[in-house]
Amino acid sequence: MALARALAKARSLAKAGGLAKAQSLAALAGIILLAILIGPTAADGSRIFLQIGNLTDILRQISLIGIMALAMTYVILTGGIDLSVGSILALSTSLVAMGLTRAGQTASYAWHIVLAMAAAVAASALVGTLNGVVIAATRMQPFIVTLAAMIGVRGLAKWLTDNQNIDIGFGRDVAAEFAAVFRQKAIVIGAYAAGAAVFWVVLARTVFGRHVRAIGDNEKAAEYAGLPIRRTKVWVYTLSGLLSGLAGVLYAAENHQGNPNAGVAYELDAIAAVVIGGTRLSGGKGGISGTIVGTLTIGVLTNMLRLNNVDSNVEMMIKAAIIVLAVAVQRDR
Amino acid sequence: MPPLLQAGNVSKHYGGVRALNQAHFTLRAGEVHALIGENGAGKSTLARILAGSTLADTASIAIDGHPAVIHNPLDAQRSGIGMIYQELDLFPNLTVGENLVIGNLHFREGRISVPRRIAAFCRPFLQRVGLACGVNDKVGGLPIGQQQLVAIARALSMDARILLMDEPTSSLFDDAADRLFGLIAELRSAGVAMVYVSHKMDEILRICDRATVLRDGQTIGTVETAATNVDELIRMMVGRDLKLTECTRAGRSQRGGAGEIVLAVEGLTTGKLRGVSFQLRRGEVLGVAGLVGAGRSELGAALFGMDRIRAGAIHARGAIGLLPEDRRLQGLMMSMSVLENSTMAVLPRFQRLGFIRAREEQRALEPLARNLALRCDSTAQPVGQLSGGNQQKVLLARWLLRDPDVLFLDDPTRGIDVAAKQDIYRIVDALAEAGKGVILVSSELPELLRCCDRILVLSGGRLTAIYDAMEATQEKIMAAATTPNSPEARC
Repeated sequence: MALARALAKARSLAKAGGLAKAQSLAALAGIILLAILIGPTAADGSRIFLQIGNLTDILRQISLIGIMALAMTYVILTGGIDLSVGSILALSTSLVAMGLTRAGQTASYAWHIVLAMAAAVAASALVGTLNGVVIAATRMQPFIVTLAAMIGVRGLAKWLTDNQNIDIGFGRDVAAEFAAVFRQKAIVIGAYAAGAAVFWVVLARTVFGRHVRAIGDNEKAAEYAGLPIRRTKVWVYTLSGLLSGLAGVLYAAENHQGNPNAGVAYELDAIAAVVIGGTRLSGGKGGISGTIVGTLTIGVLTNMLRLNNVDSNVEMMIKAAIIVLAVAVQRDR
Repeated sequence: MPPLLQAGNVSKHYGGVRALNQAHFTLRAGEVHALIGENGAGKSTLARILAGSTLADTASIAIDGHPAVIHNPLDAQRSGIGMIYQELDLFPNLTVGENLVIGNLHFREGRISVPRRIAAFCRPFLQRVGLACGVNDKVGGLPIGQQQLVAIARALSMDARILLMDEPTSSLFDDAADRLFGLIAELRSAGVAMVYVSHKMDEILRICDRATVLRDGQTIGTVETAATNVDELIRMMVGRDLKLTECTRAGRSQRGGAGEIVLAVEGLTTGKLRGVSFQLRRGEVLGVAGLVGAGRSELGAALFGMDRIRAGAIHARGAIGLLPEDRRLQGLMMSMSVLENSTMAVLPRFQRLGFIRAREEQRALEPLARNLALRCDSTAQPVGQLSGGNQQKVLLARWLLRDPDVLFLDDPTRGIDVAAKQDIYRIVDALAEAGKGVILVSSELPELLRCCDRILVLSGGRLTAIYDAMEATQEKIMAAATTPNSPEARC
């Protein structure tokens, strides 16, 4: 009897999302295994894929998309979408580079760097807030609002920079100092890890996180329950802008430039990571752990294909298949 | 002679939930056969399997003694089986005629439909069900009762010999239901066999020849309705004795509306309501009767501040809670847990610095869940997996935790099983005892007569009568609910 009850409980938990999580984890494990098996070996016979340097490279490569996918998970959980994240990233790279190279000198390098980064991230968050306010106030579809933002913000970044890359040198000035610090693997990966931890805890443990899922599951019911729908939506899009801005700052450091043409189609990569992780595109179901698994899946897959010298066009086709497969497997039945 | 339809060994599971477990069912030619059981007993699932809209794990079905394979609705159509779904499966933006011919194997006109031919094809079937509307009327613009007739005409035009009806009267008021019963009798004498899925005992005893009872996915037995009574059927359904006719109003009269006024509504006018005035006292249960579209739900929306108020005033002492009419659309977050749904409206109460204190949240629900007789595997179970009655209890728990002074319950027993209904009556009682003002909307007049102190009747957005429950009768309420909607109607 107790066994039957335990089984029933396990089943209901599995249905509650554990099963989908197990499936996406299994998919990731499969790809890792494949990467180990078919990957090339180094001169000493060890697997290149398994070298610490390669593994941390993977983490570093997925960190930017990974950071954006964290907030994208919240957005999608509320039943929304944010197409503007790639453009916001470009705006942020441009602003931080302009702040570092064109603004007058302040007392110390550290202050100058902090201010430039803060300005870029704050402006990005503000774009997100604007998205959220328009979506919450007008009830227009998030797809349309953020599509407009995607176009407009890209324009803004290009206009501000005259459509020129702003190079961050390798010398000893403040910009070079910034790049030297924020392109380190440990910083980039650390930023992603910290962001993931915070977003996971907030979603799982806070009132705000509960509201995010409730609104996406059934907005009408959320209205009847008196939940702060508008405020929650504004926050969710603000967070999306903020993390895109953070990703933009890291992008500028890594690439030694502010680039108004950066981040094209990043929104699609971020959405793909969320969806592969099992979050339902219509909202209400899913979470951060799934998104992390989804992000890692894309990262490992890309790495495996590149180690095997697969043509980058073929790589896109394989990714497409993986996205469809991942979602097909996790569908509610 | 073999029976018209025989289904045996019917099993179906959804994830870990077993909806049907080797159920069996036999339908004779020319009978009206009730399929009854508590919510979650599997009766709708069985009907849907026979109609081909749900695929069984196992099922052996025979029609006229010949094995039949029904894997999709087209198979069912070929076998002469039609189904009238509770939430009618019509296309609201297509015309009556288009709804009849779409997917219809008996309308062979190719891909281009000629309106004249459609009309000629449809007319006899519309006449047969007594539908007065035009072939070219949009289905979405018809009243719900007429839409149902369209669905029946559609099944007949597909040459159905077996008609499955899932809770056909759940959204009809008595007059439309009476017309439906007349049609069922006519079809029966014309040789159409019908399976009638319902909760309503009086209907079943009135119009059905036999009744098959399901419980927990299994067939408990089949009885002749002429040789049984309500109490026996309920005993078979719930597996224990339960008096449907139990009257809770006895305790009510002792209280006699003593409390202070918690809600006063004066000349309330919205898009739908016209000058509605009434008062509600602490410890009082005020019933709201009226036909569909009379403005019952709109009254709740106005009180809750969801509809714009054009004129009049609402004076409420304290908070108003609203249990919405449609728990799926307006109430529950289906993929979230029992616990999360229950505490949804009071979450800030359990927070510290924005974080939810899980143990306190759990502790708040526990006594309430016991009191409501809420049945679930664990409070972490998604509410989507619960039966209708238990879902309704979760929603009630949400508002009970909120502890409002006035509670507006919009048809809380709609589509839930008998035992859960009794639980809800008990809770309504307890709420009044505890000094709340309760407004209870219901389509079932006996329910209102049983639970309420006073009953307010709406017709076309106007208040046409307020009765003391002691002097009210079903006849009086019906008369007030069908009062012509003229400005002179008394308020």
